[in-house]
Amino acid sequence: MQQHATPASAAVDLDKCAQEPIRIPGAIQPFGALLLLVPAELRILAASANVADVVGLPLGAGDVLAASHDDGWSRIHEAIKAWSEGTDPSLSLVADVRDRRLQVTGSRGAQGLLVEFEPIDRDRSTTLDALYPQLRTFLDDLDPAGNSDVILQRTAAELRRLTGFDRVLVYRFDSDGHGTVVAEDGNGVLPVYLNHRFPASDIPRQARELYCLNRIRLIPDAGYAPVPLQPAFLGPDARPIDLTHAVWRSVSPIHLEYMRNMGTQSSMSVSLVVDGELWGLLSCHSARAHHVDPQVRAASEFLGRIVAHQIGANERIAEHAHRIELKKVEVELVELLSHADTLQEGFKGRAPAWMSLLDAQGVALVWQDEILTIGTTPTGAQIGRIVDWLGDQDVEQTYATDHLVGQWPDAEAFADVASGLAAASISRLHKSFLLWFRPQVVRTVSWRGNPHKAVDPVSGRLHPRKSFDLWQEQVRNRAIPWRRSELEALRDFRNVVVNLILKRAEERAELTAQLERSNVELESFSYSVSHDLRAPFRHIAGFAELLKRREGDLDETSTHYIDNIVQAAVTAGRLVDDLLRFSHLGRAALAPQLLDMDKIVAEVRQAIELNRPGVRWMIEPLPAAHGDAKYIRQVWYNLLENAVKYSSGRRTPEVRVRGAEGDACTIYTVEDNGVGFDMAYVGKLFGVFQRLHHHDDFEGTGIGLALCKRIVEKHGGWIKGEGAVDLGARFSFALPAQ
Amino acid sequence: MEKVKELRPILLVEDSANDVELTLAALAQCNIANEVVVVRDGAQALDYVYRQGEYASRSPGDPAVILLDLKLPKIDGLEVLARLKADPHQQQIPVVMLTSSREERDVVRSYRLGVNSFVVKPVEFAEFFEAIQNLGMFWAILNQPPPMLGERASKRPGTDTP
Repeated sequence: MQQHATPASAAVDLDKCAQEPIRIPGAIQPFGALLLLVPAELRILAASANVADVVGLPLGAGDVLAASHDDGWSRIHEAIKAWSEGTDPSLSLVADVRDRRLQVTGSRGAQGLLVEFEPIDRDRSTTLDALYPQLRTFLDDLDPAGNSDVILQRTAAELRRLTGFDRVLVYRFDSDGHGTVVAEDGNGVLPVYLNHRFPASDIPRQARELYCLNRIRLIPDAGYAPVPLQPAFLGPDARPIDLTHAVWRSVSPIHLEYMRNMGTQSSMSVSLVVDGELWGLLSCHSARAHHVDPQVRAASEFLGRIVAHQIGANERIAEHAHRIELKKVEVELVELLSHADTLQEGFKGRAPAWMSLLDAQGVALVWQDEILTIGTTPTGAQIGRIVDWLGDQDVEQTYATDHLVGQWPDAEAFADVASGLAAASISRLHKSFLLWFRPQVVRTVSWRGNPHKAVDPVSGRLHPRKSFDLWQEQVRNRAIPWRRSELEALRDFRNVVVNLILKRAEERAELTAQLERSNVELESFSYSVSHDLRAPFRHIAGFAELLKRREGDLDETSTHYIDNIVQAAVTAGRLVDDLLRFSHLGRAALAPQLLDMDKIVAEVRQAIELNRPGVRWMIEPLPAAHGDAKYIRQVWYNLLENAVKYSSGRRTPEVRVRGAEGDACTIYTVEDNGVGFDMAYVGKLFGVFQRLHHHDDFEGTGIGLALCKRIVEKHGGWIKGEGAVDLGARFSFALPAQ
Repeated sequence: MEKVKELRPILLVEDSANDVELTLAALAQCNIANEVVVVRDGAQALDYVYRQGEYASRSPGDPAVILLDLKLPKIDGLEVLARLKADPHQQQIPVVMLTSSREERDVVRSYRLGVNSFVVKPVEFAEFFEAIQNLGMFWAILNQPPPMLGERASKRPGTDTP
């Protein structure tokens, strides 16, 4: 039953190590004695086998602690009793029992009160009072805003001075669990490990958890013989005794072998816990056995807590400062985006800001099927594959890695530019991402021992490290890791971008709805107009005509007046018709087809000739073009009618029609020899109700050319007019090639 | 005189008094002898056709043609058209949409509903006259109207064969 406690059972395989019950070793180190007591009652549930040796009293399981004739012991008994009935989590006192001085410490557990006794050397021991000025000086000298490396270096030196170990390492864990020695102080007895890395397997997961709970652990002599607990198990279900909080809990035999392999006979570790996480360790070693007094241990633990606090504060300050820097960039980008019409347009502006937001060498925007890049990035095809891969990973918001190849071996093809990837998904609907890339940074890592060989390839066992020789490794396919502040910036920025996109979509939807509303209104308006506005003109014209027919003997002036009434009403009616036609065009859907322009022009000419004969027509063969027959016919009608109208004063009015096919469009021209117009007013030519001639000279509603322009532009083409007063006019319009 | 008796009336459905007057003037000038019954909204038109309401006691017989304005109070022209053309007993009555509207959708809907003809009233009076006269001539005189339901029930020889 005591196999856990004996170094002889050191051959533990990997599975067992992972499960190794380091909290319940069933034994303690021989440098103290332990009692497990029932609270209040103070009956002993279990005792280490060395209680009589250490305390000098023959105590064992079943006994009840009681006062004795010894004053010192009575004081201890009183203190334990008082603590037991109170709520303090721990107990600490020093008392002399007979000839020996004892440090008594206590902690509460689910199974009872753990009380430990540790003999103190009266001559060598020190007190916290004596240590305090030294600690205070150290703390006073700590610069709260100082460089972390300096703080850690000074901590190592201070701890070594305090404890007298040969060497103190400050060990920092990375996200993979590997440790790096980031500061060191030593007397030259033990090798220098500064900047070396130790594989994660050196400190198994459950050991790290224990480091968080119990902040200091001393092994004065790795060659110790464990002292068993009696009994080792409690109750009918034989539960082992939980020694998590015991000062002298016996450590794992693997760890002792590790120490011996490392050439250290004694060790002490002080946990550096930052924000509840094991940030690192202050790891002290000596080549020989080395004991550290309880007071010094307490001071060391205190030092560890202060330093951890300082590290946490420094990191937070650094991250905040960095975060503020990033925020400035973020604000710059958000402002840029909020003024840009589209995300793509915003992306094209201010490349440096996009890169510096996440300190990247390249950035890509993947928006639907479009890929835009800034700086050094993988190729478009590779970015496409990255996006597909991200899609497969179900990345809902953000993703970041400094080792893409580790997640996705195919990424090695572009590891030189994109070992580091930070991605923000900006649309779930159609795989749209913002991607930041960091290049591969090849570096050489000096390992103490080969981290890839912690497990024996033959036996599959985890074997305690025998070699701490330098083992150098070229680390490839890795980028500089993303900082916490950068990941926060990534998340924040993603939210902003997503909100911008949503806002823009909402605005678009709102605008569309407004347009639809006003279209509906306009339509019902023009519908009413077409019905109600035409009728009165018809009535005026109708009754005037009836009047004229009825009164056959009207004088000339009266007839003239009536004719004018009729004419005005008819013109007003036409105006309504033209306006309606013009407004209809806005919402009409075109039905383009290949148009036989020769035929259309011939038909239009025929219609015009009925009313205005005597024109000399010169119509060349016309190329075909695509367009809506009904509307293009209207264009021809208006242009040809205008040409005839404005040349009607000539002796021989001439109208010439030509067409030419270009690469992008087909251009048609209508020329006349009429009154022309002043090019100074060419800007007014195509406006609604714009007329360049007096009504009296040429009738018209002033909508014809506006209608032509609207039709042609709706087809994607253009129209222009050229002319000179009395020298005729030339109108050209172009229809785009299909 | 017997022939005159057989002339069926023209039903003019028009809410605008001006249009009624102009239409009547136009019809009068082309010597159409048919009686012209004028109603002023869609509901009255249906009452006339179905011999209900104020027309409950009119003598039986379908109109030769219905000249139907599109925009009407109460029940609009398109609905009157839809009801008549959906009714197997009335769908044979010729209906001519006579309207101010050049709206394409009105034309399309009218033809979908089975209108017999769709005429946009021109602003020019001469054209308007011509249009009305042509309509009157065609539908009231030239067109062979379908037999009336009552006639089919008690068919008299010689009435509906030319």
